[in-house]
Amino acid sequence: MDSSEVTSRKSEDREQQYDEFVALLARHDLAIRRFVRFLLPSGDGVDDVIQETALECWKKFTDFQPESADSTADDFVRWACVIARFKAMSWQRDRKRDRLVFRDGVIEQLAQAALDALDQQDEERRAVEACLDQLPPDQRRLVLSVHSPSESIARIAKETGENARRLYSRVNVLRTLLLNCVERRLAGEAGNG
Amino acid sequence: MDDNIRQLIFQAIDQTISPEDFDRLQDAIEQDSEVRTAYLRAVHMSGTLEDLASESDAGEKTDAPAVHSNPTAKRQRGLFNSRLSATWNWLAAAAVLLAVGGTAFWFGQRNQSSVSDSPIAENDSSDGSESRIAGHATLRHAIDLQWPSDAVRRVEGDVLPNGSFAFEEGVAEIDFFCGATLIVEGPAELEIESDWSVRVIEGRLRAMVPPAARGFIVKAADSEIVDLGTEFALSVGDGNSQVEVIDGEIELRGGEFHEERLLTGESRVLAGEKADAIGLADIPTASDMKRRHGRVAETRFNSWQAASQKLRQRSDLIGYFTAAEMTSERFLPNVATHGVASSAFLSGPVTRTSGRFGELSPGLDFSRPGARLRMQVDGEFEAFTFACWARIDSLDHRYNALFMGDGYENGEPHWQIRDDGRVMFSVMVDDSQEVRLFSKVDQKIVHDAGLHRVYMTEPIWNSSMSGQWLHLAAVFDPASRRVTQYLNGQPVSHHPIEDKFLVTRLRIGPAEIGNWGQPFRDSPWFAVRNLNGTIDELAIFNEALADGEIRELYEQGKPLGY
Repeated sequence: MDSSEVTSRKSEDREQQYDEFVALLARHDLAIRRFVRFLLPSGDGVDDVIQETALECWKKFTDFQPESADSTADDFVRWACVIARFKAMSWQRDRKRDRLVFRDGVIEQLAQAALDALDQQDEERRAVEACLDQLPPDQRRLVLSVHSPSESIARIAKETGENARRLYSRVNVLRTLLLNCVERRLAGEAGNG
Repeated sequence: MDDNIRQLIFQAIDQTISPEDFDRLQDAIEQDSEVRTAYLRAVHMSGTLEDLASESDAGEKTDAPAVHSNPTAKRQRGLFNSRLSATWNWLAAAAVLLAVGGTAFWFGQRNQSSVSDSPIAENDSSDGSESRIAGHATLRHAIDLQWPSDAVRRVEGDVLPNGSFAFEEGVAEIDFFCGATLIVEGPAELEIESDWSVRVIEGRLRAMVPPAARGFIVKAADSEIVDLGTEFALSVGDGNSQVEVIDGEIELRGGEFHEERLLTGESRVLAGEKADAIGLADIPTASDMKRRHGRVAETRFNSWQAASQKLRQRSDLIGYFTAAEMTSERFLPNVATHGVASSAFLSGPVTRTSGRFGELSPGLDFSRPGARLRMQVDGEFEAFTFACWARIDSLDHRYNALFMGDGYENGEPHWQIRDDGRVMFSVMVDDSQEVRLFSKVDQKIVHDAGLHRVYMTEPIWNSSMSGQWLHLAAVFDPASRRVTQYLNGQPVSHHPIEDKFLVTRLRIGPAEIGNWGQPFRDSPWFAVRNLNGTIDELAIFNEALADGEIRELYEQGKPLGY
């Protein structure tokens, strides 16, 4: 085998790895994204951290060893989350001067808690949807307005003639209600399971 | 979990939280797993709501287009559903990477997704809290600055945020984060816009732009002056505006001279009439600033020394240490005439560095873990006042020592700063007790060796104050049962001493400045508490100093630019 053959064999291997990597990343991107979102208080920088994480994962992909073929998906997410945690930390460290960022200790604690709860995410989402459905339409709209690019509390305040500050505090009451409802649901499901 | 914490969580997610509350929230997250769970759940819920909100938006696309009041802030939203963009961009780039076999391309592209300014600055300008977390420049030198009554006063080393920076008299030297430096003569009013741009409403200034800051923009009248390297002068006021290149090249944009380039010695009147010939060249240069700064600092230093000579004769001084009076490599004498404290012994890697009057006065740096100043103070006291000038570079440890009694035994003081910027002062009441108590600040039960109460201020320090000199003081007054703490001459916290925590026989014994090397007698732990910073003066009184006296200490000792 001459050296050009070695090179081409190598690049074939690398290409196969790449396909595998892309498949894993594409499938689990959302879970990693959620994990990163937990660690960045304002949500700013999620894209940056995800990109850096993805790049680092690719660089280190040869080190990734799933425990078994069955656990590949789960192991990949956990492995990527550990890398994401460090990327989130250094992203925040770089920006410590000018914005609200968590200290390392807090990130560590949150990262651990988030990893522990990784499996619950779909359930939680279903619970949020179900709880939101129980709200009357105007309250639903109010609580969603905070999260919608085309809605705002200011707009609702204008339409209804209500004080924006009061609306905002009502949003917080509603969110607390929703969270309590989500908690109850999750506890109920766990009890039933 | 208490409702307050929950509100803080929402405020953090909405980015309306104040820096103080944010610290509180972080403490709670760190200490309470219930808060952690609640935080994660709330973030996750917000993400789900974001998804649902944008789904319903998508369903209503035929509606009239909504006017976004704040498109940049919204751009970051929808994190859970915009996932396609980031990751797939990445995949596309990775494919290229694979092909070219290098990372340069990718890193070159990455910065385009840089983050917008924090929305806090846009939404929440009413309480001024954003100034602490956002900035574009630092005030390097401030000579004789006089402030308008309604302006925010700045001191040397301050980070200058977005917005107005105005003063009536004096000269300021401002370093922009991009590397450009402005020397501005008052009366002046600037509008700081970013690391790279500033609008001059009034004032005479000299701009120095090193190669790294090429492209720095100064706006005056209708024009933008883009510096293509080195130095120019500008004068704006009374409807007149004139620019002159001192050295190098600038480009004008907008206004009458759009796209015109000026070289060394050339000048243009951007608005109004031409100024007198002497106009621009006599604006101070950087070395003028340094000289002037040195002269004024010397005056300040001399007046502090005179005050210090008087101070040391007070009969209630236990110890008074100034780094300016180090007699040998290893000893800092107690210069209080009647003071009972021993000289302080420099132990470990304490290094001599600049004090608060610059090169004229030394300071002692405790940034390495073994660094400490040790002393012995015999006797019993009725009250304590601790006062020092300190420069904090960063709060690296959970607790960062100012002055610590060795064993923290009965009647002994501890004075330190927590990593969240709170100053803590405490005196041990009964070191034989094991105590569990509810901490209001931390909102939880804390376990403590020994009965004592830690009196804490609100956070007084954050990293934007790194390198600034601070005057800190703590007064512990058993007779009137009060603990008062001060920052730069102003009281920042008052606490009553409750019966349970009353100690009347105060002691110090063996103690340290800048570190805590000898913790509890029976404990094998070695806590790393050295101060990453410098102290150049520390006084201990057997007396509860009044507000006015603390203010006087500050006024007499403050360095230039305060």
